[in-house]
Amino acid sequence: MKIVEKFKALPDKIRAIPKKLSDKLAGAKEILTQGNGKVTASMLVMGLGQLIYKQWVKGAMFAFIQIAFIVYFVLTGATDLFGFFTLGTREGNAWYGVEGDNSVVRLIMGILAIMIIVLYAAIYVSNVKDVYRTQCAMDTLKKPADFKQEAAALLDKSFHKTALALPVIGVCVFSILPIVFMILIAFTNYGGDIVPPALVDWVGFANFGKILSLGQFAPTFFKIFGWNMLWAVLATALNYFAGLGLALLLNKKCVKGKAIWRAFPILAYAIPGFITLLGFKFMFSYGGPINYYIQQGGGEAVGFLGLDAKWSARFIGLAVNAWISIPSTMLLATGILSNVNTDLYEAARVDGASSWKQFIKITLPYVLFATTPVLISQFIGNFNNFGIFYFLRGGLYADGYFLASDTDLLINWLYNMSIDNNYYSIGAAISLVIFVITSIISLTVYVLSPSYKQEETFR
Amino acid sequence: MNKANVKVVKAKTKRVLNVLITYCILILVAFIFFFPCLWLILASFSKSGSIYSFDGFFPAQYGFDAFKSLFTDTVMYNYPRWFANTLFIAVMSCILGTLLTILTAYCMSRFRFKSRKAMMKATLLLGMFPSFMGTIAVYLIMTQFNLINQHWGLILIYSAQAPMGYMVQKGFFDTIPYSIDEAARIDGASNFTVFVKFILPLSKPMLVYTALTSFTWPWSDFILPKMLLIDKDLYTVAVGLMSLGETEFARFAAGSIFIAIPIIVLYFCLVKYMINGMAAGAVKE
Repeated sequence: MKIVEKFKALPDKIRAIPKKLSDKLAGAKEILTQGNGKVTASMLVMGLGQLIYKQWVKGAMFAFIQIAFIVYFVLTGATDLFGFFTLGTREGNAWYGVEGDNSVVRLIMGILAIMIIVLYAAIYVSNVKDVYRTQCAMDTLKKPADFKQEAAALLDKSFHKTALALPVIGVCVFSILPIVFMILIAFTNYGGDIVPPALVDWVGFANFGKILSLGQFAPTFFKIFGWNMLWAVLATALNYFAGLGLALLLNKKCVKGKAIWRAFPILAYAIPGFITLLGFKFMFSYGGPINYYIQQGGGEAVGFLGLDAKWSARFIGLAVNAWISIPSTMLLATGILSNVNTDLYEAARVDGASSWKQFIKITLPYVLFATTPVLISQFIGNFNNFGIFYFLRGGLYADGYFLASDTDLLINWLYNMSIDNNYYSIGAAISLVIFVITSIISLTVYVLSPSYKQEETFR
Repeated sequence: MNKANVKVVKAKTKRVLNVLITYCILILVAFIFFFPCLWLILASFSKSGSIYSFDGFFPAQYGFDAFKSLFTDTVMYNYPRWFANTLFIAVMSCILGTLLTILTAYCMSRFRFKSRKAMMKATLLLGMFPSFMGTIAVYLIMTQFNLINQHWGLILIYSAQAPMGYMVQKGFFDTIPYSIDEAARIDGASNFTVFVKFILPLSKPMLVYTALTSFTWPWSDFILPKMLLIDKDLYTVAVGLMSLGETEFARFAAGSIFIAIPIIVLYFCLVKYMINGMAAGAVKE
């Protein structure tokens, strides 16, 4: 991906839009003007034209889809679509036994209805196009494909349509719909006292104004953001270089029994993360072994992860995160190092380059080049590392913060606010801000990275 | 002693020192990674469950009580049941998720259709959202579909979200030469046949890698099951172990070992595939 060039090419693309649109319009116009009665029949009733052409199965299928859609639309679709804009009109009241509208469910079902309508429109268009194709084939005295051939094409020419149907539906419902929902929630007043049965309303950009202006949110946001950035940079750098170092160490010629040495980090990698995190929490707890030895030595038990702990908890977090993440970086680096061209090292040795120089000039550029995308995703993963402080400390609320503590990252703050304290809309607005920040950072890093700048160096 | 001799001795000591330092670091690394594991294993054999009864890292008395109570004392904490639940969810999600991911990756790699570029960009962008905010929506959808407190609900979510991570697999399919497809197509094979008969057998490492990652995710996930499962008998191990306190430390340790062992065995058997898979996915963007 060449992002900068993409941006440079943007004006051209915008200029190309009218042409693309007019091409599309020309196609539609052709069907409208050249289409015969059967095409019109299919426009009025899906599948009718196909039935007239005696394509029974296909026609029946299109007709069935239309009937199903109409039934859906009459039964729930129309109200769902309407509910998307109003977010419910009837407030529930348990006292009078009135079952009101659940605004949040209205919103979700509204999004779902829009998705279904878009899908239906796509099928409708393909229905018209299909009958027009049949007409063209008939006009040129070719035999249109019969049902058997078309079914066979689903496993051949249009195999991708068959194969992608299920994944696309799944991703739409369980990945895209939730994200759209979250984005839209940022523009409502959902949260606080306004949770169902109370009615939620659209409020525009008010939530973003609140984050910046309201005394509660802004100071906490900037404090946490500073720590979050520091954390992401430190954690990513530590994991990356330690993992690379470990891979290089294990790659050394003098190391015997590589498989055994490698087994220890892999052991750490294989243990499910929550076990590791809870285990370390026990280790540093008041009654844990570390404090036991401190007390044996005559000291006072230290609350490493307690409410007042700031830097100790942060360092423990960093170390535990390293313990969990270094092995995967090591495995990745091992795989990549095995692909380095060994001739380069041979040549370097002949020229008398020291091993440090070989590392700086050959290994590092190559590994950086190959792993930049991974590095970026690791950075984002660390930036949004929810589990680490959730398990190590849980939902602590420290002084000077609004529903957060010294170690909390933005994502933990989000969790505290939205899941534990009902500040849904503010939480959604903040997660949008996080999204913008992370995507800007990762794009910038990517553009500055060697794998972007010198795409051809190692090919 | 002449100069050349000194030089040889110097180089030799340098090399020995180098080896010595290397092994010192290796031993240290092995210790750092192994010790917490050893601690958990020891803890699971402690006679008393509470962490307060330990002498530092070591239990005061050893015994099999924790394992016994883990499998017999099931009134409060039904560990065998949790284990079966987790296994069921993970295996089903693994099968479905792998299938969907592989299909998606294959289509993205081999077919050039209209919305392909748009779909690839969209998945890249969507991956940057802090995803758990969406879980509120997932929860609401599940209530609408009446799938709360049911394992199939979880399986549906895990397998439906799996194709989002198709990039690694696509990178792998990109490395399989097109000439294989073309040769088969000339012989009259359909795209489906090419995929099943030629591409799949070649992608064994990637299949294993995908299956492994889509197995471990539900195996150790906690946010979704914690939100969607209400009955204690339906819990997965992750949720169940989280509900144990400091006084149940030995039970926690014993339960952790049983949940960690299958994954560890799988990883050690498949570590070669893992390394290849990760490298293949990384180099190709």
